[in-house]
Amino acid sequence: MLIEARDLSYTYMPGTPFQVDALKKVNMSIARGEFVGVIGETGSGKSTLVQHFNGLLKPTGGELLVEGKNIWEGNTNLRTLRSRVALLFQYPEHQLFEETVFKDVAFGPRNLGMSEAELEQRVRFGLASMGLDFDTYRERSPFHLSGGEKRRVAMAGIMAMRPEVVVLDEPTAGMDPAGRLKFMEQVSRLHREENLTVILVTHNMEEIARLAEKLFVFYRGELVMQGLPAEVFKSVDLIRETGLEIPVLSDLLQQLLRKGKDIRTDLFTVPEVAEEILRFSREEWK
Amino acid sequence: MSGMRSITLGHYLPGTSILHRLDPRAKLLGLLVLIAALFLIKTFTGFILFGIFFVIAFLSSRLPWRYFMRGLRPVLYIVLFTLILHFLFTKGGQVFWRFGMLTIEENGVYLGSFMTLRLILLVITTLLVTLTTSPIAFADGIEFLLRPLRIFRVPGHEIAMMMTIALRFIPTLMEESDKIRKAQMARGADFESGNIFRRARNLVPLLVPLFVSAFRRADDLAVAMESRCYRGGENRTKMRQQQVTTLDYLGVFTTCGIAAVIVLTGV
Amino acid sequence: MISPIIETIQLSYDYTLDGEKVIRALDNISLEITEGEYVCLIGPNGSGKSTLARHLNALLLPAAGDVYVDGLLTGKEENRWEIRRRVGLVFQNPDNQIVATTVEEDVAFGLENMGIDPPLIRQRVAEALELVGMSSLAQHAPHLLSGGQKQRLAIAGIIAMRPRCLVLDEPTAMLDPRGRREVLSTIRMLNRQEKVTVVHITHFMEETLDADRIIVMDRGQIAYSGTPEEVFSGEIDLGSLEMDMPAIPALASALREKGMPVPQNTLTVDQLVEYLC
Repeated sequence: MLIEARDLSYTYMPGTPFQVDALKKVNMSIARGEFVGVIGETGSGKSTLVQHFNGLLKPTGGELLVEGKNIWEGNTNLRTLRSRVALLFQYPEHQLFEETVFKDVAFGPRNLGMSEAELEQRVRFGLASMGLDFDTYRERSPFHLSGGEKRRVAMAGIMAMRPEVVVLDEPTAGMDPAGRLKFMEQVSRLHREENLTVILVTHNMEEIARLAEKLFVFYRGELVMQGLPAEVFKSVDLIRETGLEIPVLSDLLQQLLRKGKDIRTDLFTVPEVAEEILRFSREEWK
Repeated sequence: MSGMRSITLGHYLPGTSILHRLDPRAKLLGLLVLIAALFLIKTFTGFILFGIFFVIAFLSSRLPWRYFMRGLRPVLYIVLFTLILHFLFTKGGQVFWRFGMLTIEENGVYLGSFMTLRLILLVITTLLVTLTTSPIAFADGIEFLLRPLRIFRVPGHEIAMMMTIALRFIPTLMEESDKIRKAQMARGADFESGNIFRRARNLVPLLVPLFVSAFRRADDLAVAMESRCYRGGENRTKMRQQQVTTLDYLGVFTTCGIAAVIVLTGV
Repeated sequence: MISPIIETIQLSYDYTLDGEKVIRALDNISLEITEGEYVCLIGPNGSGKSTLARHLNALLLPAAGDVYVDGLLTGKEENRWEIRRRVGLVFQNPDNQIVATTVEEDVAFGLENMGIDPPLIRQRVAEALELVGMSSLAQHAPHLLSGGQKQRLAIAGIIAMRPRCLVLDEPTAMLDPRGRREVLSTIRMLNRQEKVTVVHITHFMEETLDADRIIVMDRGQIAYSGTPEEVFSGEIDLGSLEMDMPAIPALASALREKGMPVPQNTLTVDQLVEYLC
């Protein structure tokens, strides 16, 4: 297992009147090369959880293992860990601070102590991984880019560290449909071609159903469900109770199934669902 | 980071004690009187009397003392600094201790302890008021107390509005700075090691985004306020009408009385 | 014929960049919105939606053309406050539009600015909070609210001023599904029950399905305007406008292409289930 949580708990401000148990005894594991989704309403603990994956938070109970090693025991170098398990925060364009795109993307690799020659390689790789042209962008100020470009530059800064795992916390929030699609296409490509492990935290159920191989559902600090998207979204009542939604197409397929139609419910894209509906209606005609 | 509830220094703790129920204007007036008294006291006896009054007030507020102490932690360094400075550099009187060039002398010990006590009493009294007064009531109180200064063109309404907005956004900006700090740490930034110059330089990746964000928020807020018909204090009404009760008069008079006694015995 | 609550006549607006480069944000927009209508405004980022919204309550004034609100010209200085009372704006980031440190104080903010009598303010604040279902949170600090609650608070602050029209600029963009549901049902209730005209800007196509009318914007112009059935019939190439279709109309359109005669006005899961069963 690449990342594993064992009885992981986290309490904010213990011993004060404002104490909050953000995570309660979470057990989960993520394998190398997986694309997993973490879903749950705001305050369900998912952001707190992912900040444990790269040692930004230290568990107040239980342990967090990366490649079988407890990161808070022995001499784990946190900086190295953070370059391997990279975390892109929500609204990442707000973390840009350098004068040029080059310098901003180079910030991560530079902190890892790389030479200038290596830096350029890394920046090229980072920008290319997000579909941004090196020469067009290198000297531009990150503050003068469009919203979508800023976000891709921020992601390029993460990719420039050449991580094995990326944790994306609502990476497409506030983007328009075309921007969302473009961004997630790049991420999927990195997952396929670079064998990047992706942990996606999102409120967008359609997106996660389409992309993730496995889902973890959080509710009030607890991991309440995990499994394939198709399995998870079958539990309609539980999903709604946790404040989430069933993707529209799953809702449709499940209603058809309930009406006695012989139909698969594990499909999440329009072409797939269209094919399936045509198949069963052809069979009904016979 | 959504789950976290940011706590700031002197964060209001709701309650039902007498101190909580007092009108903010009465509390602020009382606080002003007590601060004045602190600066008039010239002897340790005065401080001891003041301390006793504080302990009684603190106990009546029913605040958890641990929470209270936590609020004090940030000022501890300033207090220690004052103490050390006086011990080392105020000269005169008997020499207590000598190490090469350094000496600790009678006047330094006396003055150091005196100033430190004054500082501590000042901070804990103020903290007691801020912990038992909701921020909005506090701002209202300030606006009221500044009203007589209008003839000197002191913009009381604007100051109170700025305070309210500052209070409203402190938790938001704390959360934001925590988020940016972590986002940069996720890119290998180091805010914890190195000497003071190195550390200051390492703060750039935190401060630039924080300022940019504060300006963006200020901009958004100004538009939102304008869109809700805000145009300064003129012709503006207030939903909260403050009612002064006998308790408030009693509070102010007792405080004044006690302060007078302390000052007179302590001069 | 009822006169429109909002009317823009050949409205144009330019942004200047770095002092010289001019970007035409709105280009010759003529638009009428009828009292009680629920209009959704969609279009890619930078298509001029927010700029248009800010013209509707005189936060921005046209470079060319006119905007009338309830018969009042926005360009006239003396109309400004009356217009802002009649058209309320709710913004995307719930954090950046809350002024006060308690919920009820924030709802009162607009009313206090209007100089209304304190007892009446209290009454209106209570009514507005009741309407958005937040009466029990009146004393809460805003930063402790959930995103959905913050946005409903912002709506309550506007509604307390008794506006004729509510303009919402991507109010659900930063919310989780529950928050989104809460805000959407609040907006719909205000439109149907309280007869408030609604102009709702969004990037989520599913949110537009029960609008009376959808306006698609593209590069500062109105590219298309029609009912959801018309806009999502599959006949308009939304892809070229960098927009996507909501799932069910997209599916219906895909099925039609393959020869299944799904009716053109199929928008919801229920409608499609009914057709297929």
